[in-house]
Amino acid sequence: MILKPANKLRGSKIKRNRDVQSQVPSLYIHIPFCKKKCNYCDFVSYAGKEYLIDEYVEALIRELHALTPLPEGEGVKTIYFGGGTPTLLEPHHLEHILNVAATFRLPSHHGGLKTAATLEISIEANPATANKAKLKELRQLGINRLSIGVQSFNNKHLQVLGRIHNSKDIFRIYEDAKAAGFDNINLDLIFALPNQTLEEWQEDLKTALSLSPEHLSTYNLIIEEGTPFAKMSNAQCPISNDGKTILEEKELAMYEYTIETLRSAGYKHYEISNFAKPGRECQHNLVYWRNENYLGLGAGAHSHINGKRWSNPNCLEKYLSLTPSFSPLTPHSSQQNQGETIFMGLRLLDGIAKDHFQGFEKEVEELTKEGLLTTEKNNLKLTRKGLYLANEVFLHFI
Amino acid sequence: MLSKIRNFSIIAHIDHGKSTLADRLLEFTHTVEKRDMRAQVLDTMDLERERGITIKSQAIRMEYKGHILNLIDTPGHVDFSYEVSRSLAACEGALLLVDATQGIEAQTLANAHLAKQCNLKIIPVINKIDLPAAEPAKVAEEIYNVFGIPENEIILASAKDGSGVSELLDAIIEKIPSPTGSKSAPLQALIFDSHYDAFRGVVAYIRVMNGELKKGMNIQFMGTKGNHEALEIGTLKLGMQPRDTLEPGEVGYLIAGIKDVKECRVGDTITTTKSPAPKPLPGYKPIKPMVFCGFFPLAGEDYENLKEAIGKLQLNDAALTFEPETSTALGFGLRCGFLGLLHLEIVQERLEREFNLGIIATAPSVIYKVIKHNKKSLLVDNPNSMPSAAEIEAVEEPYLKLTIFAPAEFVGPVMTITTEKRGSFINMEYMDPTRVMMTFEIPLSEVISEYHDQLKSVSRGYASMDYEVIGYKESDLVKMDILLNSEPVDALAIIVHRDQAHSKGKKLVEKLKEVIPRHQFGIPIQASIGAKVIARENISAIKKDVLAKCYGGDITRKRKLLEKQKAGKKRMKRVGSVDLPQEAFLAVLKLGQ
Repeated sequence: MILKPANKLRGSKIKRNRDVQSQVPSLYIHIPFCKKKCNYCDFVSYAGKEYLIDEYVEALIRELHALTPLPEGEGVKTIYFGGGTPTLLEPHHLEHILNVAATFRLPSHHGGLKTAATLEISIEANPATANKAKLKELRQLGINRLSIGVQSFNNKHLQVLGRIHNSKDIFRIYEDAKAAGFDNINLDLIFALPNQTLEEWQEDLKTALSLSPEHLSTYNLIIEEGTPFAKMSNAQCPISNDGKTILEEKELAMYEYTIETLRSAGYKHYEISNFAKPGRECQHNLVYWRNENYLGLGAGAHSHINGKRWSNPNCLEKYLSLTPSFSPLTPHSSQQNQGETIFMGLRLLDGIAKDHFQGFEKEVEELTKEGLLTTEKNNLKLTRKGLYLANEVFLHFI
Repeated sequence: MLSKIRNFSIIAHIDHGKSTLADRLLEFTHTVEKRDMRAQVLDTMDLERERGITIKSQAIRMEYKGHILNLIDTPGHVDFSYEVSRSLAACEGALLLVDATQGIEAQTLANAHLAKQCNLKIIPVINKIDLPAAEPAKVAEEIYNVFGIPENEIILASAKDGSGVSELLDAIIEKIPSPTGSKSAPLQALIFDSHYDAFRGVVAYIRVMNGELKKGMNIQFMGTKGNHEALEIGTLKLGMQPRDTLEPGEVGYLIAGIKDVKECRVGDTITTTKSPAPKPLPGYKPIKPMVFCGFFPLAGEDYENLKEAIGKLQLNDAALTFEPETSTALGFGLRCGFLGLLHLEIVQERLEREFNLGIIATAPSVIYKVIKHNKKSLLVDNPNSMPSAAEIEAVEEPYLKLTIFAPAEFVGPVMTITTEKRGSFINMEYMDPTRVMMTFEIPLSEVISEYHDQLKSVSRGYASMDYEVIGYKESDLVKMDILLNSEPVDALAIIVHRDQAHSKGKKLVEKLKEVIPRHQFGIPIQASIGAKVIARENISAIKKDVLAKCYGGDITRKRKLLEKQKAGKKRMKRVGSVDLPQEAFLAVLKLGQ
């Protein structure tokens, strides 16, 4: 493995700006394996390649070794196992990865991975891929946040989505997770599913609330190019402008209902699609939205360190055989980075500090006049209307 | 000398193989060696190659069996029929090329008529006889029925494999008369084409009819009255071959330090300043654009670039005219005049391709004659210059005689689309039991919208058309305004026949609803005549536009999505508070079924 770019990066940029708190990176670890690809999914993930898991974990370890130890006083801010289906890994795989990750020098008050109460370590789980024993082992490894891919409680919709689990599996994994000691659980839900009625979505939300999870992510379904869903919908129903309006009105109704319902149930709506009980915001995702530093490990994972971005190859085999590239994806001007800070930051309902908007005074004024942006204390943030039309706002800053 | 010269053209319908045949002639006469042969050497512009048509004609001199054969190429489209007629006027003969699988088409007939008017000897050639679908006997019968040329005078050939080509070359020498003309008469040379060369100025392609053109002579263009010096003259092989004199019957070029193709008009006569010819050669016509539209830069700051680009194109295109136009909706632009729709499309495409300019073209318009109540008349080539209805006594519009060739089974559909476009049926003749020729009179304005596309579509590509302008006729025409958010958009206004106003207005607002993206506010679209709204639609407001997912740390992807969305907006023109895509301006053109 040729690791020069990484070393260089670690040695120069990170060290020089050590006094900036955000320099401590978060760690994203991508697990690109699934039992089956879901019909809506366009993430880097492969079905039927589980025989490569051992080899893949080795590659991850090599990549981690190449990055550690970080210079003194530095470590990781959060760790996130995403996928794919990270729970397809055996606990010993995860243990191995976490042990190596622990050699990152953590901020002094943490004193080691397993005991670091404030270090958020998340893992995504498919309800059909983890039993109580496994969950217990994960918890004992120090993993303290579980993100369950529920998507829907309605078996009809789960089938359309191409999920490998049913609603019973969800209740079971939730109960098992609690029993295993997880006290920070997120449920991922998707709305605006094909032919889903508002009532069905309301039912899904109600069921989710009955479990009282600490965190809820509710995503409006996006039909991505190249997915089975895209092929189905393009072939069957090219949507007219009128059709789009009708669909949009339904989506908006679902979204509005979600916001109202979850707010009144005591959840804080802190990001466009995310809701949390007080203090339970996802620390890892906040790093993305605040455009802070993170290192992405594994196939197709993206990194951002002090304004530089790069990514690993999407192809699993290529990742296994090649050095992670560490080459910046695009030459980033500082203005580009400013735009990214703005459009990621505005996803947060608290918005971001006004001083990020230097040079965009005209745009801010115009958007404020249109009722899409508003000022609160020292922050600029989206209004409710702006929330619904966020892309129209973001466009002005790129 | 004269007796050894043969000047001829090839007349053919598009795709009947004219350029390939020209290539073969060059090859058989060793004018170009086979290994140097670029397919279709005569078509020099990329655009011509792509569209398979020859836009600008050139000439080439070949030598064969002790004779000089000058092939004068002709443009193959109805927009350029005047240019065709001048090229033919420089010849004594023409090869009438007909595709053995297609038969006679509208342009074959139109150009053959032009050739007859010029008293040319016609040698019919049935091409593509190598194809399995070739029906030479049937095509020969058509040729006999239409032109009265007996079968034994027809040459069967395949330009592709070269069969029949030597026979054809012999026929050119035997059958086409040698030029006549007197060396001692005052100089009369016909300009049949010209082009602008950045280094040498205008190059005129000429045929000497009478007298002698000598290098260094002081010459006069009789039509434009320009006086010049013949700096260089010569003949044309694949390049220019300078000579000291050009004699009667010869075809060649002239360079006289002319800066503008407008001073060197196709059809003009060159004579000497010293002893000018008493009369110019017949047939000269000044340029008359038939179709007008506005070109507006997508980015306002590109106006100067647009002007410069059109100026550059005009150097080589005497038929292109322009003057500044200001639109409330689109800002500064140019009102441009063209010979026809194809000419318009070519210019637009070249602006975009060669000058990298994003432009909006408003709906093409013809020139209307408006007679006011006070009996004053004016010419209107822009719907926005139309006087108010109260002032108008009558409006006249240019009419065409339209000729259509089609297989008999398509008579019904052709009749339907043509009468829908206000065409009145004149005549129908059977060329043979399966093919007919139909003639109509139809307003030019109807033909320049999507008539040709419709004709091709209802006849599965088998029908062909040609037209000539026959003059002005009175019509009940009105100006239709399009309003967005209750504000009229001048660039979308069109002139329509009153009987069609309702259906066109309805289709237009429907079309606009489809192509105008939704905004954060609702947009009423209305079509109106005067103060009366005749059609309306409503574009609903965009309610929700937000990406739910954040794709992990892949911010580049998000950025790309946003950039794409933003780029889409950039290609639009903001009119008032509404962003209009280019398609909105095209919508006016596409109101057919």
